[in-house]
Amino acid sequence: MSDALLEIEDYSGGFVGETGELAPVLHGVSYRLKTGVMTAVVGESGSGKSLVALSVLGIQPPAFERTGGRMLFRGVDLFGLDERAMRRVRGAEISMVFQDARAALNPVFTVGRQLADVWQLQHGGGRRAAMRQAIEALGRVSIPEPERRARQYPHEFSGGMAQRAMIAMASLICRPSLLILDEPTTGLDVTIQSDIMELIVELSHTRGLTTCLITHDLGVVAETCQEVVVMNAGRVVETGSAEAIFTRPADGYTQRLLSASQLVEAA
Amino acid sequence: MQDDPVLNRPLLQVRSLRKTFPVQGGRRLVAVDGVDLEIKAGETLALVGESGSGKSTVARCIVRLVEPTGGDVVIGGDSILGLQPSRLAGVYRRIQMVFQDPNASLNPRMSVRQVLEEPLSLHLYLLRSERAARVKELIEMVGLTPAHLDRYPHELSGGQRQRVGIARAIAVSPEIVILDEPTSSLDVSIRGQILDLLLELQERLNLAYLFITHDLQVVQHVADRVAVMYLGGIVETGPTGDLFADPKHPYTKALLSAAPVARWGVKRTRTRLSGEISSAIDPPDACRLAGRCPLVRPSCSASRPPLIDIGDGRAVACPVVIERISTC
Repeated sequence: MSDALLEIEDYSGGFVGETGELAPVLHGVSYRLKTGVMTAVVGESGSGKSLVALSVLGIQPPAFERTGGRMLFRGVDLFGLDERAMRRVRGAEISMVFQDARAALNPVFTVGRQLADVWQLQHGGGRRAAMRQAIEALGRVSIPEPERRARQYPHEFSGGMAQRAMIAMASLICRPSLLILDEPTTGLDVTIQSDIMELIVELSHTRGLTTCLITHDLGVVAETCQEVVVMNAGRVVETGSAEAIFTRPADGYTQRLLSASQLVEAA
Repeated sequence: MQDDPVLNRPLLQVRSLRKTFPVQGGRRLVAVDGVDLEIKAGETLALVGESGSGKSTVARCIVRLVEPTGGDVVIGGDSILGLQPSRLAGVYRRIQMVFQDPNASLNPRMSVRQVLEEPLSLHLYLLRSERAARVKELIEMVGLTPAHLDRYPHELSGGQRQRVGIARAIAVSPEIVILDEPTSSLDVSIRGQILDLLLELQERLNLAYLFITHDLQVVQHVADRVAVMYLGGIVETGPTGDLFADPKHPYTKALLSAAPVARWGVKRTRTRLSGEISSAIDPPDACRLAGRCPLVRPSCSASRPPLIDIGDGRAVACPVVIERISTC
């Protein structure tokens, strides 16, 4: 069991309606993220894949109520931590990249300032040193002219640039052991998407990150991930190595999802 | 028959279409910059490109949802850009549109029946009984049942809503349907069903489609011909199979090689472009790709290269590529 950085065990819960009754949406979700491995969680909208990921950071919607399960990070149940302890986990141990990077950045502060603030929060030190780290991180994710870009606001960034900045914040500034990416390339054009995925893979390798990629795009998964978790309607229907999932899917839903993603015959 | 000029005349012709939008500081955003397209009866032309390439603006100009700045759109021999708004109704009997987001394009306060009756009462003079029969026929044509007619959009799934959007578009028996990203907001399992429905309706009704999408798998699945757009202009056109097998323009190569494949063990060789898409605001008279292109040479910045026929129904807007082809 020691090769898993995060183990989700039998996680269940639902949304509380106006009348107070619980509509269950997660049904005994269990999967593991192996240390140093890139794992994909795939499924269509409503499968619960993002809800589970948000729960890892304790930022699930307020109307969601957990009815059971554990989430073991390095063997410690995250559900057992109080808010102060959880805050020490967020960012420093586990960080997350969201789908819409420009919405995730604060519009009234420069991008450099936001990265520098997070650096100071996580690692301390002076503002100048933090800004140097921010600029270095922006350069590291191939943002041209990082000094100038650091002084700009999020609206001056394109979607791809903003996502690079978010990846810089989540991986290089926070320096977590687990990086969760929730549909990181979904709003982006295909040429930009490929560049961002290459960046994510490269950073994961060089920093030895454990990475969890939440996506509906099996094309991205086939090229980047080693392990795959398939979710449907709040349940895990299949887990396995990427090669096994793509070449011999066992579950009927996985098979249908795969064939729906392969509109065009193999060349 | 083959040479009959009337029969071979394209159903839809777009000539030198141009659309600019004013932006702050008296500058202009050039969204569409001299686009030429032709679609024949029963044919599917895919217009592909990334966000900001102007593909949706082309669609909106064709049906005059936005007024073009210049150029012409000809449907069945009639120019529609000079028409008074009151005469446009006649055009809309021949050309209809399906939008990307069925949540936004269906009125939430109208039942499915009302949605489908509206175009019929606007365009066709039918008896009430005929109209009811047509609505029932339409809902069944798109794979739903008469029970769905009394529902409201919020009571339908995304896929069902898109089926209603398609039924509305074919209600008045148009010859051309413009499909603007019809599957982009749908899950992959629903995407396949909607595409199958569109192909079935095309066969049954001999529809011509202008299919606007960024999804290259969808293009390969449905299109006869492809036009690739980049920053307001078409950079390459050709039959789908040929264009995918042997893309000529550096942008087409980069676009096709960037798309990941949902299969195990597929290795892509990427053609890379440097940097990001340049601004469409007051662009210089130069190749739009010049700043990112691996084949760039000084003359690329001198003028914007035209789309040049290279035979076999293909055309490319790149003098470097054309020079290489002609010296082979």
